[in-house]
Amino acid sequence: MSADFTFCTVQYDSGDWDSAPLVPANLIDSVARYTSIRVAPTGVSVPLGSRDIFRYPLAYLTGHLPVRFTDLERRTLREYCDRGGLLFVDDHNHDVDGVFHKTCTDEIARAVGPMKELSNAHPLFNSFFTFEDGPPATSHELNGWGDNLIHKHLQAVLHGDRIAVLYSNKDYSSEWGYHPDNKRFMSVDNTKFGVNVVVYALTR
Amino acid sequence: MSAPMTARLDIQARVQQAAESLRVARVSRLLLSALACFVSVWAAATALDTFVELSAAVRQCVLPGAAVAASLMLWVGRAQFHAVTVERAALWIEERTPSLRYALVTAVDPRYAGRVPELDAHVNTHRYDDAVRSVLRGVLWGVVRRPVFVICGAVVALLLLPRGSVARVARPSPGDTLRREVPAVSRDPLATLVVVVEPPAYAGMPRTTSEDPSSVRALVGSRVTIRGRRGSDAVYATFDTTRVAAQDGDGRWQLTMTMPGASSVLTLAAGAHRRLLSLEPVADSAPVVVLIAPARDSILRRPNGSLVLNAELSDDHGLASGAFEYIVSSGSGESFTFKSGTVGATEFPGERKGHGTLSARLSIDALEMRPGDLVHVRAVARDRNSVSGPTLGVSETRTIRIARADEYDSVAVDAAPPPEPEKNALSQRMLLLMSQALDKKRRALAKGAFVAESRAIALDQTRLRKRVGEIVFQRLGESGGEEGDALDRRLDRPTNPDSVLAAADRATGANSGTALEGNADETPVVAVNRPLLEAYNFMWSASTELELGEPGRAIPWMQKALDRLQAARSAERIYLRGKVRAVIVDIAKVRLSGKDKGIASVRASRPAADPGRALRLTRFDAMVELAARLPSAAADSLVLLRLEVLAPDRDAAQKLEAAAAAVRRGGDVTAAFVAARRALAGDVERHAGISLWGAP
Repeated sequence: MSADFTFCTVQYDSGDWDSAPLVPANLIDSVARYTSIRVAPTGVSVPLGSRDIFRYPLAYLTGHLPVRFTDLERRTLREYCDRGGLLFVDDHNHDVDGVFHKTCTDEIARAVGPMKELSNAHPLFNSFFTFEDGPPATSHELNGWGDNLIHKHLQAVLHGDRIAVLYSNKDYSSEWGYHPDNKRFMSVDNTKFGVNVVVYALTR
Repeated sequence: MSAPMTARLDIQARVQQAAESLRVARVSRLLLSALACFVSVWAAATALDTFVELSAAVRQCVLPGAAVAASLMLWVGRAQFHAVTVERAALWIEERTPSLRYALVTAVDPRYAGRVPELDAHVNTHRYDDAVRSVLRGVLWGVVRRPVFVICGAVVALLLLPRGSVARVARPSPGDTLRREVPAVSRDPLATLVVVVEPPAYAGMPRTTSEDPSSVRALVGSRVTIRGRRGSDAVYATFDTTRVAAQDGDGRWQLTMTMPGASSVLTLAAGAHRRLLSLEPVADSAPVVVLIAPARDSILRRPNGSLVLNAELSDDHGLASGAFEYIVSSGSGESFTFKSGTVGATEFPGERKGHGTLSARLSIDALEMRPGDLVHVRAVARDRNSVSGPTLGVSETRTIRIARADEYDSVAVDAAPPPEPEKNALSQRMLLLMSQALDKKRRALAKGAFVAESRAIALDQTRLRKRVGEIVFQRLGESGGEEGDALDRRLDRPTNPDSVLAAADRATGANSGTALEGNADETPVVAVNRPLLEAYNFMWSASTELELGEPGRAIPWMQKALDRLQAARSAERIYLRGKVRAVIVDIAKVRLSGKDKGIASVRASRPAADPGRALRLTRFDAMVELAARLPSAAADSLVLLRLEVLAPDRDAAQKLEAAAAAVRRGGDVTAAFVAARRALAGDVERHAGISLWGAP
């Protein structure tokens, strides 16, 4: 086991778990850029049903298609959250009426518990950078794609005051899905919130 | 009645009178003692306030406290109100007249009533009445003497104490600190200030009085009166380069001014004494107007009917009126005409209402609009501000447009129809349900009617099949005509999916193309249309069975057709992507910790994020030092600093005000200074640190 933080993408049997292949590299770049956290240069993909997932404090799950966990995946996810892991789920469809949202929220409710709206004053939004208005809006929201909504809040399953599952309908998977070398062309780095998620997962 | 009995009653009546006199004496003593308690507490508090200034809260408690003490005294001694029995009165008299030798006690005892006449004679021979009168007189004076002396002493003290202190205790009120007499030697005219703020009448707010404030916060236009004790030097006030002399009278000076519209400092001067007072105007907010209806901009087909208008209004100090304003713009190009007006004008008289609603109906017919014309609607409200207003508040503007004839094909005018495959799916589901219902009624219906209904469904099924054929042809790029019939002809009445697909491939003439995905021998056109072509064929089979009057046999075909239509819907979402090469982030490069290949530039530490904050902190530190030597100067400096940070940092301004007040009060100012400095320095961000979650 390495002491470096390693970004972990969750594989699940149903759906397209690898729909945002550039997000891990982009967030690794941001963590290295803004923090002094020791970070591995590449991410890993780990099956949700594998015990290897317990090696990683933060697991990222995304996709467009229906999410149906197997019993093993469901049990592993429950144990992962109970043991202090943070599952960050992003709806790549950005559509609250889409299949990913409906099936994934259903599965999370069955595996970990019901999700509720996360307050925009939650420490997550101050864990590294300060986001006074809560989760930053994505260009996909502002352009009216997907469900044509700007989601004001994230959702979460809380264990005590700690986030066990963080769920986003904001399509950060599309927002952060570009090569990190292209970050220099942006006036404002839109991946800063990802740093907050990583730092929160490592410190809570 | 016998003579002894009459004598005994006479003695009993006389003892009864004595008992009543005793009761009066006891009650008098109790009441006078309570009064003495009340007056002496009042006098003591007044005397204390003369030498040590009591706070308003303490003074407000003095008279109620004295009343409570007196009441407690009455409650404890409430037994004194009870009547004294004849026997106890007789014993009390016997105690003070030993010569009676218990004759009186025995005479009033009911057990010896009329039996011992000698007792009555003995009592009478000892001049009972004179003895009792003498004893009562002495006792009465003895019991009331002490409280009377106390009352007299307290009243004399109240008369001798300064009238101002007596009134401060009797009727405590805000700002009565000036009523206290202070020695002439310590009479700094600026040492004690009382500021009375009278808000403008339209605001309907009460008058407020504050003692020794560092700043005055009031509505713009408020009448501000500043009072202080008159000293040997005249008091002048300098405000905005204007110098005004205070008016003297009744041992005080007084200055009256109107609260300006901008924050400023009022400098008070008397001889060598200086004092600053910051003036913080509170602006009257404009009314907040929210247009509820119409909820959004819209387009109307025809210029008739009416618009329902609703708005909600609110204001901090009361609304005066409100209305809806509209502007109609007509024309195009370089030629436009406008007309405007108001509807639903509403006054809010009488009570000061902070909230209100507006409702009206705008007749589009009356506006005589033509296609292309616009009407802009907004709600407006005015408040009661008679000093600098009235202030106008406006809502968002909604625009209603009359559509032109040539834009009816726009989705903005007509709702878009549902996508074709979905409509077909719905129709196929409906036909399936109709067929199932008809099949269930097979036994109940006559054969002729049953077949007729089955053929009617077959007709709809055929129509739907042709519509599916049209969609396929639209995708193939062919246009116009009876595409469904054309497909029928081209497919040459196929009987199974493979023949349908083969025929479709032939029909498109694309059988020589290269497959993009799917089976290698499948053209892209067929691959995309496969579900629809299969549905087309299943519909064909279903309609054939229905034509024969066999809906039961048609149902499986219809179900398959429905399944394929669903598959066609799902196939609409296509995610194309290639395989992305794994990205390896160069951590050292990102962190700029690699080898430095260029010429090293001179690096300097970055300036503080807020240079003004650092400057203010430096000034504050100087004031801390100044507070030990010149408290009044430090307080004035704190007031000035407070005025500076009022806009950017209201929290720090409050803490600075508390610090200035603490300096003026004297004593320990550490806590106030610590709080002020922390507020000026800003919050410190705390991080728990990065833990090694996955430590080896």
